[in-house]
Amino acid sequence: MPVVYLILITFGAAGLFLALPGRGQAFGRIGLLMLLGLVAASIAMLLPQLGGLGDRVAFALLAGIGLFGAIRVITHPRPVYSALFFIVLVVAMGGLLVLMNAGFVASALLIIYAGAILVTYLFVIMLAQQGTETAPYDASAREPLWGVLAGFLVLGTLTGHVLSGDAANELAAPAAGVLGTVGDVRPVGELLLTEYVVGVQLAGVLLLAAMVGAVAIAKRQAALQEEAG
Amino acid sequence: MLLPYLCFGAALFALGLVGFVTRRNLIIIFLCTEMMFQGIVINLVAFGRYPLAGNAPILDGQVFALFLLVVAAAEAALALALVVLLFRHRPSLDANVWAELKER
Repeated sequence: MPVVYLILITFGAAGLFLALPGRGQAFGRIGLLMLLGLVAASIAMLLPQLGGLGDRVAFALLAGIGLFGAIRVITHPRPVYSALFFIVLVVAMGGLLVLMNAGFVASALLIIYAGAILVTYLFVIMLAQQGTETAPYDASAREPLWGVLAGFLVLGTLTGHVLSGDAANELAAPAAGVLGTVGDVRPVGELLLTEYVVGVQLAGVLLLAAMVGAVAIAKRQAALQEEAG
Repeated sequence: MLLPYLCFGAALFALGLVGFVTRRNLIIIFLCTEMMFQGIVINLVAFGRYPLAGNAPILDGQVFALFLLVVAAAEAALALALVVLLFRHRPSLDANVWAELKER
């Protein structure tokens, strides 16, 4: 089992190294195919952990789409497409959260990420890069070998122990019992406004501080422009 | 039950890390931090849905995920304001343009 895992993760690292921008189109395609193979193989390895058939099909589809989106975010040479693929990832994430009965978090994620944050990102990208050609700094990666090695070392450390067998049995055991209903918005809201009410206030203060900061930066820009012009 | 979600979260985190280190576009770098946040959201909700001790789901994970969304929104607003500020100084989104800021 560890040998199979090592081979899989090395394969994935090689695929990602090829798929990062700067290797040329043919190598990029090969790298993407290798990565998709790795994603399919790992999902197939993980599926027996899930309960019913419906759960398995839904998880396989959503995790596959999500990981494909995530891979394209970091490998696509055009930033606009990267941001659009991030929306694909967010939608798949919403599906996975619904699968875990976290409907409220899923809708909040879709509205805030896909609706607000990603649109702001798209706006800034379109503001900054108005040409149709790919910028030279988008067409090449910085230190791809060391970056991919570091990333897959982290991935191996995070998942290696979990997939080694013993841990899988340990983790799978307690979840076999009866599960309550968590799909309701009401219990989450009650928890949010009783136990974590100070946190909600602090979150409001944080948002206010971020807004003041953004306005201050924008004002500074205006002052700089007046100096220049 | 818990494992597939944890592995999905770990994969998202690692991909975000690779993108953060290797991409040269400032905006994509921030997009990759958002991707790492997504991996953490999945982890928080999954640990709440399939808790390690006992069978009853804990909702605290979902509350933490909501707080994480707040932090992500604040971070995105400030980061994009800074990117636009940098872009006004030198019209390029290349992180290497600002390499002189690092210690030699």
